[in-house]
Amino acid sequence: MKFLSFFLTKSTSLIAISCLFLGCAKDIDLSQREDITLSPDLQVDLLIYNIDQSQFQNPNTGNLKTRISDTVRLEFLDDDYIQKDLSSVDFYFRHINTFPREIESEIRFLSESNAEQFTVNYTIKPGANGNPVTTEQYELIEEDRINLVRRSIKMVVELEVQPGTSAFEGELDFASKGFFSFEF
Amino acid sequence: MWRLICFFLLFSSTVLAQNKPLLFNVDDLPQTLMSNPGAQINFTGHIGIPLFSQIHVSAGSTGADLYDIFADDGANINSRIQETMRDMDSRDYFSVNQQWEIISLGWKLDKKNYLSTGVYQEMDAFVYFPKDPAILANEGNSNYLNEPFYFDDVSFTGEIMTVYHLGINHKFDKRLTVGARAKFYSGIFNAESTGNTGRFTTYTTPNGRNVYRHEVVDVDVLINTSGFAPLKDEEGMTVEQATAELLSRSFFGGNVGFGLDLGLSYILDEQFILSGSVQDLGAVFQRKEVENYRYFGAYETSGIEPLFPDLDENDEAIPYWDIFEDEVDRNLRDQTTNQSYTTWRPIKANFAMEYGFGPAFLPCHYLSVKKVRYMNLLGMQLSGVKRPKGFVYAFTTYWDRKINENQRFKLSYSLDDYSLTNIGLMYTRTFNKFNVYLAANNLLAFPNLAKAHSASVQLGMQLIFNN
Repeated sequence: MKFLSFFLTKSTSLIAISCLFLGCAKDIDLSQREDITLSPDLQVDLLIYNIDQSQFQNPNTGNLKTRISDTVRLEFLDDDYIQKDLSSVDFYFRHINTFPREIESEIRFLSESNAEQFTVNYTIKPGANGNPVTTEQYELIEEDRINLVRRSIKMVVELEVQPGTSAFEGELDFASKGFFSFEF
Repeated sequence: MWRLICFFLLFSSTVLAQNKPLLFNVDDLPQTLMSNPGAQINFTGHIGIPLFSQIHVSAGSTGADLYDIFADDGANINSRIQETMRDMDSRDYFSVNQQWEIISLGWKLDKKNYLSTGVYQEMDAFVYFPKDPAILANEGNSNYLNEPFYFDDVSFTGEIMTVYHLGINHKFDKRLTVGARAKFYSGIFNAESTGNTGRFTTYTTPNGRNVYRHEVVDVDVLINTSGFAPLKDEEGMTVEQATAELLSRSFFGGNVGFGLDLGLSYILDEQFILSGSVQDLGAVFQRKEVENYRYFGAYETSGIEPLFPDLDENDEAIPYWDIFEDEVDRNLRDQTTNQSYTTWRPIKANFAMEYGFGPAFLPCHYLSVKKVRYMNLLGMQLSGVKRPKGFVYAFTTYWDRKINENQRFKLSYSLDDYSLTNIGLMYTRTFNKFNVYLAANNLLAFPNLAKAHSASVQLGMQLIFNN
């Protein structure tokens, strides 16, 4: 009995002490915490519009106004997470056209002082009533040009109707989005 | 008798909790009265060494361990984090519980009654892994189009408090011992956010206005805090100042609450003993230094729509962004209020059956009723804690061995959310009246805690009187 007590006492103490004092963390490298980053990729809608021939009319004369434009401030481009952590943006622009003429699209990104940072130009293919034609355009801004986005605050969309003989009637539908990649 | 068993089992199925199983039903230790005020006890008085009678720390994570994140294997840590987050789900949790006994004492009033009292400080934090918001922050919405991110996943509780308690252990007859402990809680800090709702989804819209539609539906996220606002407002507060501020609330200066522990043990026959307890049936009324942060609303958008021309009727540029922002602010709102709230303590419960063999006889004492004790006890214990999304259970089997009158150990094996190989060990030794004890769970994990999902340690020292 004495031997059993002695054995149990010693073995219990040994196990308890061994486990507690040998308690340590192995096979890990905590310095890796400095490499931890959040890298979200966000798909974000930007601008939309759907216009017909009335938007191309001069309100005073009723004549065709071949060049129209509008400006939208994108205030979020000035936020900290864009200024510090944005690594790339892939813009996507899509026009669906039933006007029977080509239309030149110019999308410009301007700074607060209206200095042009970058621009995306392309020709919207002509469509027809009942036969909409889709034109798509991508613009990838990677790390080497990302400052252009960071300096931008305004997005200007301009449309210029190209000359033609057919009646200028139809609709133009615009969709746009940005694929924003961050590294926090 | 069987009615009693049925009652226990029924009760166990509704409220069960994990709570220091190695100290449960250890009749040599006064700490057993803290987990079951109706425990069978085998001493006539005790005085804890102030600040050292019980130090308890436990921490656990069901979904990830340190190795999962920080493995030194040459791989990219961010890939490991991403993989680990994907493997976890919103019912995985992280928990930390710490108790520090400041004062503990007790004495036999007469043959049937033992009074115990004391003060301890407790910190308890329980955080469910907010999977959807975490993945949205880490990966974004691009790989999760048409899949909702649920804000319901945000659920956590955290509190620091001082507990003043007074308990009575009453030997009803030779079979039944019952006990109760009244508790007064002095809250130092509390933060909780439970029952949140809402989801954010980015839908692809092939026939819609834009490529996507971003939709936020039924968002209602509420974070209640008490004791946080003064710390937040004090700019430049040092850690020492913040600690002093928190400690000043320990002595009835903070938010107060009341609670009750109940317990019993019943000797079915000479060798079978049933015992059960419920701890912390109580609440804290958060009235002081309260701040509530609420985010709520619903909104959907496919982008900003310019109107052509870009000048309004006053020939001024149309502020599309401001209009958009106002609309978002009207629909997705945030509020900071100072409304009192009540927090229920995490109820803990234990139920145990044990079988004793190898009888030994105690020294005779006029205050001691229990005449026979067993050198060996084989037992099983079901336990758990009520948490915001349900009960967290543990099932423990144990061998409780009295080596001699002064030494005892308890070897346990537990099944719980953290591990299937949780082996625990408790050892206690008394030198004359001076007792020390040490208990640790999940011993197999101690050689490399980086791969452990949980670990817990209790230790303490006190004077225990038997005559």
